[in-house]
Amino acid sequence: MKKRSGRNGFIFLCAAPAVILFTVFMIIPTINVFRMSLFRRSAYSTTEDFVGLENFTRLMSDVNFIRSIQNTILLIVVVTIITFAFALVFAAILTREKIKGQNFFRIIFYIPNILSVVVISAIFSAIYDTNNGTLNSLLSLFSGETVTVLWKGENMVMVSLIIAMVWQAIGYYMVMYMASMASIPQSLYESAGLDGAGRITQFFQITLPLIWTNIRTTLTFFIISTINMAFLFVKAMTSGGPNGASEVALSYMYKQAYTNSSYGYGMAIGALVFVFSFGLSALVNVVTKREPLEF
Amino acid sequence: MKKILSILLVAALATSTLVGCSGSKEEKPAETPSTTEGETQDEAPTETPEAPAEGGTITVAAIETAYGSQMWTDVCAAFTAETGINVELITDKNLEDVIGPSMQAGDYPDVIHLATGREKALTETFIKDQNIVEITDVLSMTVPGESAKVGDKIAGGFTETSLTNPYGDGKTYLAPMFYSPCGLFYNAGLFEEKGWTVPATWDEMWELGDKAAAEDIALFTYPTTGYFDAFFYALMYSVGGADFFDKATNYEEGIWDTEEAKTCFDIVAKLASYTEKTTPAQANDQDFTKNQQLVLENKALFMPNGTWIVGEMAEAPRADGFKWGMTALPSVTAGGDSYSYTWFEQAWIPGGAEHPDEAKQFIAFLYSDAACKIFANAVNADGEPAPAIQPVLGIADTLEGDNQMFYSIYDNGAKAAMGNFAAYDSGVVGVSNREVWFDPVNSLVSGNMTEQEWIDGIKSANDQMRASLIQ
Repeated sequence: MKKRSGRNGFIFLCAAPAVILFTVFMIIPTINVFRMSLFRRSAYSTTEDFVGLENFTRLMSDVNFIRSIQNTILLIVVVTIITFAFALVFAAILTREKIKGQNFFRIIFYIPNILSVVVISAIFSAIYDTNNGTLNSLLSLFSGETVTVLWKGENMVMVSLIIAMVWQAIGYYMVMYMASMASIPQSLYESAGLDGAGRITQFFQITLPLIWTNIRTTLTFFIISTINMAFLFVKAMTSGGPNGASEVALSYMYKQAYTNSSYGYGMAIGALVFVFSFGLSALVNVVTKREPLEF
Repeated sequence: MKKILSILLVAALATSTLVGCSGSKEEKPAETPSTTEGETQDEAPTETPEAPAEGGTITVAAIETAYGSQMWTDVCAAFTAETGINVELITDKNLEDVIGPSMQAGDYPDVIHLATGREKALTETFIKDQNIVEITDVLSMTVPGESAKVGDKIAGGFTETSLTNPYGDGKTYLAPMFYSPCGLFYNAGLFEEKGWTVPATWDEMWELGDKAAAEDIALFTYPTTGYFDAFFYALMYSVGGADFFDKATNYEEGIWDTEEAKTCFDIVAKLASYTEKTTPAQANDQDFTKNQQLVLENKALFMPNGTWIVGEMAEAPRADGFKWGMTALPSVTAGGDSYSYTWFEQAWIPGGAEHPDEAKQFIAFLYSDAACKIFANAVNADGEPAPAIQPVLGIADTLEGDNQMFYSIYDNGAKAAMGNFAAYDSGVVGVSNREVWFDPVNSLVSGNMTEQEWIDGIKSANDQMRASLIQ
């Protein structure tokens, strides 16, 4: 009996710090976001008016909010697909093929991930410059005439964000997949080769199914992090412009909460993004569920 | 033994976590920006909390801008020497991030010095919340160390605008600070070289635009759409005078259907067609200097800006023979009035300030000869002179170089435009004047929006603002 209570005490002590920190820094602020979304107030208001679900009903007819959500979904879908496709292919090539300077490529691909978003935005500011930028200069070189694409203009700004975000994320996921691909026994590929399976068949029939658990986990991480990273990229690269064309959900929330002094309205956006992130993660989890394969 | 050891380790871990939490509170002063630390050390003999001077201690939070932060340290020291009231100074480029969290916890500085129009919109938030202490009585206070009254020292008009009297009730809530004439900046050297004259009317402006276009120079560019506030206000004044400006900035019903409004919209829409085409793609916080660079490299003729541009672009490469020039907005008709908007920052006392009386003394002191001199001799972080000019009578006479030319704009025929859109309460959600007025200029230039769509957006937002006007 004494032994059991000692054990319970031990478990309690082990769990207490994490539970306390989690409650204070996660649960209480999250509840607060939901509570404040029901009020009309500014960030420093001494008083607040309860408005019920008014903030949410307004959101549904706010065209700028709808555009910011569309931009967020566009980034989640396109950046995820491109990043994962490239990361998987590069990882497979670097693990399976004998290429000179493998480590060099691994480092080169990984470097963008250790750069801060501010540095990345400065790099891309030089790449996207209309008159002297790398991208327009290259395009001019190949097309033979002066190309003046406005990369950060209203029509191209989302494409520019997608390129920067993919460039930043590929290396990290590539290294993750390389780690799990390296653990697949060589014998599987050898016997598949004997049965006549080519490189591409091997990739789809052996590599992908065997690292599926890893892909599934990283996919959920990636979707959540894209929502957050999009905010950082937009803040550093475009300030949401021109004329709100690159606004994403979180940058729009920030704008409403601070610049427009509508903190309650901003928190309503925060609450919706919270629910949206949870829902999307759950959906991805269900859709990607497969019987785990082992080797 | 092993179990006891593990329990001890867990206990140590738990304690260290909790100690970590409480530690952060104790370390708070160290978290303030480095400038604050330096300043606190410099003034250690007078600022030590254990030995407060007779007058107590106030907290002053001032934004660090192109003028640098040293002038604030000096002014606070001069104030303490004059009144015996200690000042705990907080200066930072991102002041809102430094004082924001403690204000949300109910701990307010006694004086805040900021400019309106910043992304965090701290001043605007306090105005909306009506959470600012009235300082009309400061105007009748004597400046500490002098015999003159504050109201007599401040130049005419500065304390009668909607930027200082946001509720239009004749009461002053914000003290005007560091004024700067805004207008169109250009390369005077290029005009001399080409034999062009600075246009006095908008018709002459369009003619010049066509002439410049023939030489592959665009007529106009702008750093970001945020710079259009000063431009629009001056334009409204020059089109319809103070009466139209007041009605427009108070969102009067039907004002946007008047002839004057139509003239304003048409001028901006036409100007958009004369704007350098890469401008909107660079009109963000990251790339705005590229737009300013267009003027320095003779790729665009004019840009709306303020006197700080000289210091901001001091190190930037430029065309041979480049010389800064500044003009007020052209008039609508020949011989009509041309206006230059007077941009200024504000100092105010938040409603939660603990020492409002001492704070008022501090604000009064900001207009003393001693303080004005310190501000006028300010140097920026690079050690370059960056004079901050207080709006007191006779100060422009003491200026030199480019600044003398900029600040004499009002002596050369331009009229001063002051004020801004009237404050509305929290009933307006999801829109702001910047979003409906200024940001769409990017879309007008790129052709993604028509003039009519722009006007419709303004009308619909202004209907909301009119209904929520703080009276």
